[in-house]
Amino acid sequence: MIDDELTDELRAMLADPATWVEPPPDLEDRVVGAVVADANQTSGNVSTLADARRRRSRWWLGAVAASAIVVVAVASVAVTRGDSHSGPFEAALTPTELASSASGTAVLDRTDSGWSIYLDATGLPRLDDGWFYQAWQQTNDGTLVPVGTFNEGSDVTLWAGVGPLTFPIFVITEEAADGNQDSSGRVVLTGPILATP
Amino acid sequence: MESASAPEGFREGDPDAVRAVYLRYGRWVYAVAFRTLGSASLAEEAVQHTFVNAWRAAASLQPDRDMAPWLATIARNAALDIHRREARRPVLALSELDNHDRSGSVDDPSVESQFDIGAVREAIDALSDEERAVIRLAHFDGLSHAEVATRLGIPIGTVKSRSSRAHRHLARSLAHLRASDGTS
Repeated sequence: MIDDELTDELRAMLADPATWVEPPPDLEDRVVGAVVADANQTSGNVSTLADARRRRSRWWLGAVAASAIVVVAVASVAVTRGDSHSGPFEAALTPTELASSASGTAVLDRTDSGWSIYLDATGLPRLDDGWFYQAWQQTNDGTLVPVGTFNEGSDVTLWAGVGPLTFPIFVITEEAADGNQDSSGRVVLTGPILATP
Repeated sequence: MESASAPEGFREGDPDAVRAVYLRYGRWVYAVAFRTLGSASLAEEAVQHTFVNAWRAAASLQPDRDMAPWLATIARNAALDIHRREARRPVLALSELDNHDRSGSVDDPSVESQFDIGAVREAIDALSDEERAVIRLAHFDGLSHAEVATRLGIPIGTVKSRSSRAHRHLARSLAHLRASDGTS
């Protein structure tokens, strides 16, 4: 036998075109360029609990005054920058170790009322009885704005009053209904919001 | 698979480190994406998403942890997200149908099976060019020893010896797959 040391599964994989395909040579440069661009754009992301907790302490400090400043700043930036790409934008969401089997996408469309967000996430167990998921949009320097809460991740519609150009990172956390409006920092999914072609 | 930890530079977004990680895992991730999506262009998109998402999640990766299974999860999820996005598209041009035939049949492959295809890919890459050619013609093209000999213009005995060496190497380097499957 030519391959008597191999299992049926290995033989099947050796016959699979995916085993033999070669990526195009320019994909290397495209990947490096995409990562470096994202790194430059989003340095200071909230993928770790420690990072989120550090931000939490500064984020809600002086909440009313800060919120007013943020709202004014966001409004002015949104007007001047226009968030002019009216959509759709899309975020491919990556899991953290809190939900390693989860994944999802968030599609953002601009409307007269604000940004409509269609979220479709899988692999997140249902949360209720005092627990829920909360979605946020985040600036590059860590400011978070809540954009809605939900119990299950599939077929969810959320609304945001801030745009994806000024708040270009989508984040989902686990939260307890304990009256604390701060982020728990328990990030389960996150990803950059990118303009779709 | 040989254990490899995440280079610190990758976590920092250093271009040289990102390129090094791509050179180590890029073909492997591409194979995973292609197997899921069945389309070269979609696989390329999935590879880019995989590395961007990996960089974004790099802080959650333990420095001494092997990147391969972690990347397998991210690659699989990136490919499935693209597959779901493509499935939502209501209209396809006729020219696109060939590319979407396989992507329409994806049934959420397991991380383990995706990891395996990467491991097989690595084992094949470790073969000599001559051995790899024999394995490809025998398994992918389905040729007999005699047909491989004719195709390569070498004696059938040489084909058999190269095939034997290659299979021993594959069996040895992929033994962990057989062990995890419970096969002997």
